[in-house]
This record gives sequence, C-alpha cells and structure tokens, in this order.
Amino acid sequence: MAALTDLTQALVDLKKEEVLSMIEEELKKNTAPLDVVKALNEGMVTIGERFASCEYFISELIYSGHIMKEAMTRLDMLFEQALAADAGEKLVIGTVQGDIHDIGKNLVTMLVKNAGFSVIDLGVDVPAGRFVESLKETGARALALSCLLNIAIPEMKNVVDALRAAGIRDKVKVIIGGQPIDEKVCEYVGADYYGADAPAGVRICKQIYGQ
Amino acid sequence: MPDGKEQLFEERLARYQATIALEPTDRMLVAGSGSNYFAEIYAGYSRQEIMYDMNKWMAAESRFAEDFPEIDLLRAGRIWAPLFDSVGFRLYKLPGRDLAPDTDFQFVEGEWMKADEYDILINDPVDFMMNYRLPRVLGEFKEKGSVRSYMAFLKGGMAFVLMGQLMREKALNLEKKYGIPQPFQGAMLAPFDALADGYRGLQGIMVDLFERPDKVIKACDALIPDLVNCAVATADPLKRYPIFMPLHRGNHPFLSPRQFNTFYWPPLYKAITLLIESGYTVRAYLEGDWTPNWHYWNEFPKGKILCDVDNKADIAKAKQEIGSTVCLAGGIPDRMFIIGTPEEIRARVKELCETVGREGGLILNGGCAIPYSTKPENFRAFIDATLKYGHYSSTITPKLKKPPATPSGGPVPGHPPRVITPWETRSGELGGVLGDEKMVREVWEMLERRAFCWMHFWDW
Repeated sequence: MAALTDLTQALVDLKKEEVLSMIEEELKKNTAPLDVVKALNEGMVTIGERFASCEYFISELIYSGHIMKEAMTRLDMLFEQALAADAGEKLVIGTVQGDIHDIGKNLVTMLVKNAGFSVIDLGVDVPAGRFVESLKETGARALALSCLLNIAIPEMKNVVDALRAAGIRDKVKVIIGGQPIDEKVCEYVGADYYGADAPAGVRICKQIYGQ
Repeated sequence: MPDGKEQLFEERLARYQATIALEPTDRMLVAGSGSNYFAEIYAGYSRQEIMYDMNKWMAAESRFAEDFPEIDLLRAGRIWAPLFDSVGFRLYKLPGRDLAPDTDFQFVEGEWMKADEYDILINDPVDFMMNYRLPRVLGEFKEKGSVRSYMAFLKGGMAFVLMGQLMREKALNLEKKYGIPQPFQGAMLAPFDALADGYRGLQGIMVDLFERPDKVIKACDALIPDLVNCAVATADPLKRYPIFMPLHRGNHPFLSPRQFNTFYWPPLYKAITLLIESGYTVRAYLEGDWTPNWHYWNEFPKGKILCDVDNKADIAKAKQEIGSTVCLAGGIPDRMFIIGTPEEIRARVKELCETVGREGGLILNGGCAIPYSTKPENFRAFIDATLKYGHYSSTITPKLKKPPATPSGGPVPGHPPRVITPWETRSGELGGVLGDEKMVREVWEMLERRAFCWMHFWDW
C-alpha cells in the first residue's frame, strides 16, 4: 500500500503528471481500481482540510479538481459512480432563483463530497419548488442555499417558506451561504445555519448528521 | 443652468476630490456611492426598462435626485442593453431577455480563449481579438465574413457611439439640473482579471497558474499598455473623476499569497501607476474579501486611490492598515439597507463617523454599492444620519483640483494608443495627400484608436 500512500501524497502536492503515471503503474500491477480511487479520495480530503486551514486557496482546490477529473477519465467513470453510491448522507444544494452564480456552490459541493456526503446539486437559478421536490425525492435532511447577489436574500426566505408550506420544514435543516449572508440574514430568512465560507458547509453538514 | 447648480456641482466635486486626496473637508460625502442600484429602480421601472430604455433611466435618475436632493454623487447609468444585443454579446444574461424582467443582469463564466492561444494574445493582439476571441464572445460575429458579421460590427459601432451620447446626456442632466457630479468615468480591469474573467474563465486561469505560469505573466504584461490606453480613452478628459476599476480575483481566498504577488499585483500596480503618473485617480472596488492582500495598496502615493470595501471585509481594519494611503468607501452591510431599520442605519452611521471616519478619508456606502432592494426609509436615514454625524469643519471649503497634463506621447511610454492600420500605410496607398496632411491624419488615427478600444470593450 506504500505506493498508494505516495499517490495520495502526489495528489495533495498537486503533481499532476506524477499522479497520472502512478495510476498507470498501479493499474499495470493489477491494483484494484477502487483502491486507487480511494487513495485519490483521501488526497482530496486532505486538500479540503488544507483549504479550511488556509494553507490552500481556491486556485489549489480547482486545480486538484482538474487533476481528479483527468485521473477519473483514465480510471473509468464507473468507479466514480461506485464511490458515489457508497457515499453517505445526502445534501441538496443549489443557487436560488434569480442568481446564476455557482463558484461558491461548486466549492461547497466539492468539499462536502470529499468529506463523504452524497450531494444532489440542482445547479443555479433554482426555483423554490424544485428544492422542495428534490428534498421529497431524496429524503435528504440537509439543504444548502447559495447566492452571490443580495437579491437572493428574499428568495432564500421564499424557499424556507416553501418548505414550510410543503410540510417538510421540520424534517430539513437549512444552511445558507454567499456574499451578502450573515447571522442577521440567517435570522431573517429563517434558516438554521449560516456558513461564512465553504469549509463551514462541511462542518455544518457533519453537525446535522451527527458525525 | 438653474440657479446655484453650477456652484453646488463644484462644491460637491471639490469635496469628493479632497476626500479621495485625504485632505481636510467640511463634511462627509452624502451617498458618495459608485454604484447606486437602488437609484436605478427607485422610480418604479423594472430592471429591463432601465437597461433598454435610456429615457426611463434618465427619468429615474431625475426622480431620485429630486427626492433625495442631498446626495453628493450619482452614477449616470451603466449599460444600454441594445449595445449588447447589436453584437450578440455572450458574457451577460440580461433582464427581460434571458432573465425575468426584474432580475439583475449577470455575468456568464466561460472559456473564451483556449489554453494554447497565449502566444497569439501576447504577440499579435489584433489577430487574437479578430480571429479568436471576438467570434466567440460576439454571437453575431461568429460567422466571420458573412453579411451578418459585417452588420454586427456596423451596428455595434453605431450603438457604442449612441450609448456614449446617451450616457453623456444623463451625466449632463445630473450636472446641470441637480448639480451632481459622477463617481467615476472610464474603466479598467486588472490585467489578471481581464485574462481570468473575460478570456480564460475561472477554471482555465486556475489550471494555467499551475501548468503555464510564464504565459500568464507574459499575457498580463502584454495587456497593460492597451488596457491603460483604452481606460484613458474613456476617462474624463478633464481628469475630474477617478477611473473605475472593479477588482475580482484578488479577492481572498481565490489566490495564494504567492500567486497574488506573482500574477495579480505586479501588472495591476504597473497599470495603476501609469494612470497616476498621467494625472488620474482611481476608484477600485475590492470585491469580496481583500483583507490578506490590501496592504499592497500602501505601495501607491498617498491620496490617489479610493478603495470600496465589500461586505465581507472589516472597514475598521482596512482603515488601520491602508487608510493612511487610500481613501475608503463602505462600512454599511448591504443587508442593513435591505432588511434593517432606520434606527440600525443611524446607529451604524454614527458609529462609523465617530470611529473609522473621524479624521476623514471615508465615504459611507454599502459593500461596493447601494443594493437594489434598499428600503427608501433606510436610505433616507442614511442621508440624514450622515449630515448629522459626518460634520468636520465650518471653515474648510475644499477647492477643485487642477490635475497634471498627460505626458506627451500618451500615458504609456513607448506604447502610443494602438491603431490597426497606421496612417503611414494609408498615406502610402494614397501616394500622399494634396492638402493639410495633419487634418486627415488626426481623424484617421482617432477613429483607428477608438475602433481598437471598441474591441477591448468586450473584455468583460
């Protein structure tokens, strides 16, 4: 397994060529592809932790995602699916209606996935009803609402009201985050949590699911 | 000009200039915002109406200036959407076209330049624009050489000039009827932001930082002269107003400190220095959180720059760290205008006047703007409280500044504003001219320079 630890480290160090050649070597040695994927995933967890502690920045986070994408292309997407199926508790996430920005949402998605959650990403400009439908379909107990623009403040309140109208407010914890969001907005919207940055999203998900 | 408006205009402009220069003033500016979105829709028009119908926008500004006559600055418009439509500009979604009529217009992230096109951008920017980037960002120009593509350039050129006229009319309306100056005129992106936002896109630029860092540095350097020359071409010829600079990826935590210091800051520093040396001031929106990076602003001479501090950063800390070099704007969270109460606004204004703004160098504002959904009573409280608590002196009367002349040869030594077909080429084709050559040449070059900057208008 020493080689797989090296693979994890190469990913953490963002050495793309090394990662890709190590994967080739592992596959030649008949290492189970799922073990290779797990080693890479451990690297992504460490990268997420480094981001949370400000050793890494969005540039490193995005580049690690780029390396992972190339790695998974070689490893066959099946294993990514296997890993996703294996993933645990669910989070529904999306940027609320009226706002098409997705950088913050994508960062949270990446970090929360790395932490082992299963993320249902509804994209941007998502109407309140779509969040309700998805929560009902998936049974997720956590909902994350993202935004960049401050027009999203009343829209986030609409989403929380829609959960109430659909009778599922008490079954779901609502996290909000984005440029104009703070505790006061959280109170106004009627959300349960406010995430000041992407790593906070992971901490809150863990808290919601008692991890 | 109605009675006293010229004097009012000059008083306000002088107060704004002195505030930026960190000189003593009589009082704080009232609503000295760069972007006042609230003003755009206060009169009741939808965002679509504002962006498509210049008359409505002007009516909205007049109404705002009449209902809030104390305001010291008001930005006259931003974008006339038909200009975007004329060329099929793909970098924005617009209210009433791609978005609901009452939604904000929004930027579309995309990869508009490929990773292997850096050398073209660096070595032949005109080829890069005409043959690579513009066919991608201007939907009407995608089939280069088609009738439709020629029409796109024709319509786009006409619409650009028309928009300039409409914006000027709006600015003059505010100046002559209400005595209100502009917060800025002309705009420039940080070279890294031009590359990151408008060319490579977020994903592309972040990969490039690791895989082709030298190209990123060279591209940013190569962009400096054209960005500076085009900023000056759109700036106030009298240099009364700062040049606007919305800054994006210097925002923490996009770049590591080393990346910021390698890729972002050096070209931005060079570009701003050229503007300052040409007699301009700058109003930079530090969008997002600039806390770890704002100390760099201390490298500039004192009193030439106004930095808007966004919601995510602490204005008191900004004052402490860079407030002796640059003027600051901000301090009131957007959400306070939207969901707060007049009491909260008054308390916050009082606190800021007694602390961060006690010695001047502060313009009270939201996070880089007054938000669309501001409650009118909160805006009224903002004005009243500023007048009540933002008083400095009854004896000081700021004077209008006389800026230095632009260095001969233009703002960028060794890089005159770019033309695509130099006069010498045209003159050679004509075999010389029979009359006054200067008369022909000057207009030829003026139009060439404007046409080149038109291509850069589509950077973002």
